Amino acid sequence: MNQGGGNTQTVPPLDPNSIENRYGVNGSQVQISPYQYSTGSDGASWTTHKVDNQVVQNGNYSSSNYYHPQPTVATVPATGNVQETPNTASFSSSSTSGTANTSQDYSGYTPYQTSSDPPQNYSNTGYSSYYSGYQQQQPSQSSYPQPVGAYQNTGAPYQPISSFQNPGSYAGTPSYSGTYYNPADYQTTGGYQTTNYSNQTAGGYQNTNYSNQTPTTNQGNYTSNPYQNYTHDTTNSHSSTVAATTTPVHYQQNYQQWPDYYSQTEVPCAPGTEKLPAPSAVSQSFPVPGVTNEMPASNGQPVPSYAQPWRQETNLSQPPSQQPAAAVSASNDAYWMHQTQNQQAHYPVPPQNHYQSPLETKPLHKTPFQGHQRTTYPQEMNSQSSVHQAPLGYRQPTQTTPSVDTQRVSKVQIPTNPRIASNLPSGYTKMDKGSSAAGAIKTPAYVSVSMPKPKSHATAVPEPGTLPKSLCGFVERAFARCKDDKENASCQAALKKVIADARDDGTLHTRDWDTEPLSTVLNTDVTNTESSSTLISSLQNKSPTKRPKSRWEPLVEKPFVKAAPAFSSGVKFGGWNQQNQNNKKSFESFQKADAVTDSKPTYSWQNSAKKSFQRPVKRQRFSGGASNAIDDEASSDSDKDLTPSAMSFATSAEETKRRDSRSKRFEKVQGHSRRNEIPRPMNPNVGNLHSRRGTALRPGEDFDENGCRSVEDIDWNALTVKGTCQEIEKRYFRLTSAPDPSAVRPEDVLEKALLMVQDSQKNYLYKCDQLKSIRQDLTVQRIHNHLTVKVYETHARLALEAGDLPEYNQCLSQLKILYGEGIEGCSLEFAAYSLLYITLHSNNNRELLSSMSRLSKEAKKDEAVRHALSVRAAVTSGNYVMFFRLYKTAPNMNSFLMDLYVEKMRYKAVTVMSRSCRPTIPVSYLAYVLGFTDDMEVCSEWLKAHGASLIADSNGDMLLDTKASTTSLFMPEPEDAVAHGDKNLDVNDFFTRTS
Amino acid sequence: MAYVSMGEAHRRITEYLNRFCDAVSYQDSSMLCRLLSFSSNSPSLLSLADALNVFQDASSLIRQSDKFSEYGEILAHLFRSLQSYRVGNLVEAYLAFEKFANAFVQEFRNWESAWALEALYVVCYEVRILAEKADKELTSNGKSPEKLKAAGSLLMKVFGVLAGKGPKRVGALYVTCQLFKTYFKLGTVNLCRSVIRSIETARIFDFEEFPRRDKVTYMYYTGRLEVFNENFPAADTKLSYALQHCNPKRERNIRMILKYLIPVKLSLGVIPKDELLQKYNLHEYMNVVQALRKGDLRLLRHALQEHEDRFLRSGVYLVLEKLELQVYQRLMKKIYIIQKLSDPARAHQLKLEVIAKALRWLEIDMDLDEVECIMTILIYKNLVKGYLAHKSKVVVLSKQDPFPKLNGKPVGS
Repeated sequence: MNQGGGNTQTVPPLDPNSIENRYGVNGSQVQISPYQYSTGSDGASWTTHKVDNQVVQNGNYSSSNYYHPQPTVATVPATGNVQETPNTASFSSSSTSGTANTSQDYSGYTPYQTSSDPPQNYSNTGYSSYYSGYQQQQPSQSSYPQPVGAYQNTGAPYQPISSFQNPGSYAGTPSYSGTYYNPADYQTTGGYQTTNYSNQTAGGYQNTNYSNQTPTTNQGNYTSNPYQNYTHDTTNSHSSTVAATTTPVHYQQNYQQWPDYYSQTEVPCAPGTEKLPAPSAVSQSFPVPGVTNEMPASNGQPVPSYAQPWRQETNLSQPPSQQPAAAVSASNDAYWMHQTQNQQAHYPVPPQNHYQSPLETKPLHKTPFQGHQRTTYPQEMNSQSSVHQAPLGYRQPTQTTPSVDTQRVSKVQIPTNPRIASNLPSGYTKMDKGSSAAGAIKTPAYVSVSMPKPKSHATAVPEPGTLPKSLCGFVERAFARCKDDKENASCQAALKKVIADARDDGTLHTRDWDTEPLSTVLNTDVTNTESSSTLISSLQNKSPTKRPKSRWEPLVEKPFVKAAPAFSSGVKFGGWNQQNQNNKKSFESFQKADAVTDSKPTYSWQNSAKKSFQRPVKRQRFSGGASNAIDDEASSDSDKDLTPSAMSFATSAEETKRRDSRSKRFEKVQGHSRRNEIPRPMNPNVGNLHSRRGTALRPGEDFDENGCRSVEDIDWNALTVKGTCQEIEKRYFRLTSAPDPSAVRPEDVLEKALLMVQDSQKNYLYKCDQLKSIRQDLTVQRIHNHLTVKVYETHARLALEAGDLPEYNQCLSQLKILYGEGIEGCSLEFAAYSLLYITLHSNNNRELLSSMSRLSKEAKKDEAVRHALSVRAAVTSGNYVMFFRLYKTAPNMNSFLMDLYVEKMRYKAVTVMSRSCRPTIPVSYLAYVLGFTDDMEVCSEWLKAHGASLIADSNGDMLLDTKASTTSLFMPEPEDAVAHGDKNLDVNDFFTRTS
Repeated sequence: MAYVSMGEAHRRITEYLNRFCDAVSYQDSSMLCRLLSFSSNSPSLLSLADALNVFQDASSLIRQSDKFSEYGEILAHLFRSLQSYRVGNLVEAYLAFEKFANAFVQEFRNWESAWALEALYVVCYEVRILAEKADKELTSNGKSPEKLKAAGSLLMKVFGVLAGKGPKRVGALYVTCQLFKTYFKLGTVNLCRSVIRSIETARIFDFEEFPRRDKVTYMYYTGRLEVFNENFPAADTKLSYALQHCNPKRERNIRMILKYLIPVKLSLGVIPKDELLQKYNLHEYMNVVQALRKGDLRLLRHALQEHEDRFLRSGVYLVLEKLELQVYQRLMKKIYIIQKLSDPARAHQLKLEVIAKALRWLEIDMDLDEVECIMTILIYKNLVKGYLAHKSKVVVLSKQDPFPKLNGKPVGS
């Protein structure tokens, strides 16, 4: 593990330590100002930074506090957040490490918003100075809204973050400056974080999930750097922790996420862990027994509301988590493993530490948190849906459960901290405390908050010497699962027994506490988790709502929607409202916190925070969208039907095909992620829903890491509808929504449909309708080939035949594009039509010139084109004789276009002749010259209709009296003028013929 | 690219910055022009570009001094553009220059006097030239060229800055001309209309007060627009104005004007001397003019066919094609004169048979119906005075001036 190697500030051994160290570092950096705030806000319990953190954790603050803890300010906000819950996540991220935060912010902006507190933390810390990324973070509340926009853009903003331009700014900022934000770290973490965030956000941080997630939020804070997922996890884990057993699983999951983060961060973690041993006590200080105890108690309180959601999550996560911890860790990366182990180790210790000495408890807490985080990951995946629900519960939970969350959060933060960690060991302890608090569960979090102080103390005085950190972690985890005092008590007893046994066995120091199942200690929460699972499902349903905002991003929600379509709309709204409420609360809390703390820099936030609060929901959506985006990539918005499979876990037979395609997409995405990130365990996990989600989310993470994937990068081919309709005949209906594949005909059917239309004896309106529907199906499926050309050519000819120029123009413009793509058709035939059309109908010299100059030499040899050019010459010179000769010899359908000009040409000709010729012209000659095909009657009728004066000569032949006609000729209003220029297209006629 | 040491790079950049700021503070427009004129490829700008490529962090230099940072945005974009320009990345160069131009225009707007008009001209010119180059680069990369279009909208913005009242209005016509060039190149000449309206309807500002250079360019382009519309009298006026006022030493410009003015004049019945065509190397019109003089329809058709591509591209093809009627008129006149020599009493009666025979000698095969059609059109367009007796297939010419000259009026009026 990196733990050992990494930052080893004090004690290398335990991962938790590393985490702690990180925390500590973060804490140390942040702590200063935040603490003050936190203390003020939190009150006694909060006095210590750790306390704040814990509080935050309880809320969501914990995480933020942790990070911030050092910067008391951050913690303070966190506390506020805790109350508000959602905010905590953001806090954590912001507070924890500038770098981490930034990255997190990007990914998780939306989440942040939800967790308005985080922003505050940021502001407190002075993150504002940070670059855009930071700004987003800082504002997180207020800024979040902006982030949202960024998120939508996600790709771009994120990348920037990853690039750490922000980090630079961070450095610039006084508070964070050097310590927190190593650009490089940020970048790495940033990418992770972002992804995590997105997940988290998506998960539902934004949404009510927080309540459930409160823990998660804390995690989110942690994660915020990388650990958004964690936050979710934490929430989940918290719930799970409440349940007792679930946490471990969460932890593992979280760990996995962490690993990603920590490919970079790992090292730091390791150091942290190392430090932990000594500090572990400190970190565990969380443990500050009171905290832990409180945590459980708080859990008990919150449990009800949280319990369901969390439980669900926890259930989900737990099952996989605990055992998985190892497996997951493996899959996720060594990191997780390490973390989990450490956590476990901590756990064992923690119980004692927590209760006994705060310092020790801290480590424990940390470990639990880590565990939570780990667990949360899976949960997060699931949790997103659950998250939405959480919000409502969240508030409640936040207060009660915060500690657990915070702990987790702290852990999450730790990763970011690690870099910083090296700088600040003490911070670690705080972090741990926070983490532990978070682990303790949301309610406990508050208690844990008080713990934090102990943690800080702990840092000062590391007791732990005797117990392995992993044991501490194990104990912490166990307590984190405890929802109430009862559970706590039973858990304590069970832990004592386990540890005593281990000591008797001599395995106390050799056992892998990180992987030790909590089930031995905790029996309680299974039922809770189950209930939570249902909640989760509902949450999932809600999640879809997020979708709308990011138009181009794949919607994770979609799958959800499919799973529970009914839920989506209603649930979504509920979730939002909840979120809003949460936001408000968090906001208020912020204000309070600010007031208490007097944080100078932070205050700026408040304004921003307010704004952000208002916006958060949207941002959250966005973030959700962003997280989903990856998936979405695969699935285009256009076709919910198609896309949903990607996200949806459902295995309906219908979607198998889609799934295949989607899975391919994912493979691609994963490939990306792998390149960017070190190891991705997700694939192995494919088995369960969680893992699936994980994969789905990961792509999103990748997305974030990569910065942005622009719309152009989306593989539209993968999103194209593939029709399944076998009906040959289909009426045209202009699409008002995404096409339904079951109503779209595939290419072979369209071919038959075209033949059917061509052979049809029905009138033009019917054919036009059919052809339009064929064209639509072609367009929807993006078919550009000979068939497309054939369809448009057929339609253009039919339109010409019917004199339907608008339709003809549509076809012609499409045909130009298709010919331009090199698809062979009757391009010369249509070049001739085009020339004729311009000559006869558009009367635009420039257009005529340019289309003439575009003709190739080959084209000019073509009969139809030559004919068209001759017609043009005849028309421009007014040579009616030539015109009507050409009219009679017109190839293809040229005569149909000329038809529309015949009237004008005849009128011109008669005008010219009556002016120039004297005294008379025989009508027979006019009929011959003007193309009346020797039908004298028609010709004389036409002449009369146009005001010509006709006389009969001695032979009875009709003559045109030219002199009289010169002044009497006029162009009559066409009698049969209808919109389409054809009586056959009359509306009444249409109804009678088609009905 | 010669090697440039860091110190040298630093020196060059600082020098440029100093000169830029001095030029602005002393309102030295010509110096500013030299500092902005990319396409001049002046050695000082090229060496600055090299220096910028060596000294990457020029923006920090700009920030160092309040004097520079006042124009920080302008200079930063300008430097970036120059850097890209130097290394041949024209698209990047254009994008940066566009940002620079926006910043510069913003600054220009704040300057009360119009001292920097010349510099603004340079900016407008460079934007257009860079956009054209960038489009070439885009096209060669298989991407759709769009930068010139962007430049067009940028220039439109600049036009908006200048078009109001006040001393800056003098610059409006220059920008208008740049817009014309852009739109003609893009083939979106219909966009010219709004600009023209704004120039020609402004009563406050007399057109003659614009700089001569801009007036000539403006008249040239609006004259071309009138050629498209086949509004020959208006085109004649505008192009003649351009011809009269343009610098007589600029033969290339004169040739450009004549390319349009000659077809317009021909359409109005004014035939140029061969020396003019030779002097300005307008050989493509030689045969056309010759055909008009001789009434040689075949020669006209050959000339049109020979230079079809060129005439189509410049947009005078349809104008020249319409000269056919004048050639017919000339041919009829010749027949009439010949008949007069042999039989003055019946010379005013042109048999369609005779006309068809004459056309056959020109290797143009027409039957009587078609000849009759042509004759009716000639009479209708007032190129021939008289009437056509359909029954006897004879054109009866007026005894007085049977072939009226156009005298500067378009055919058919």
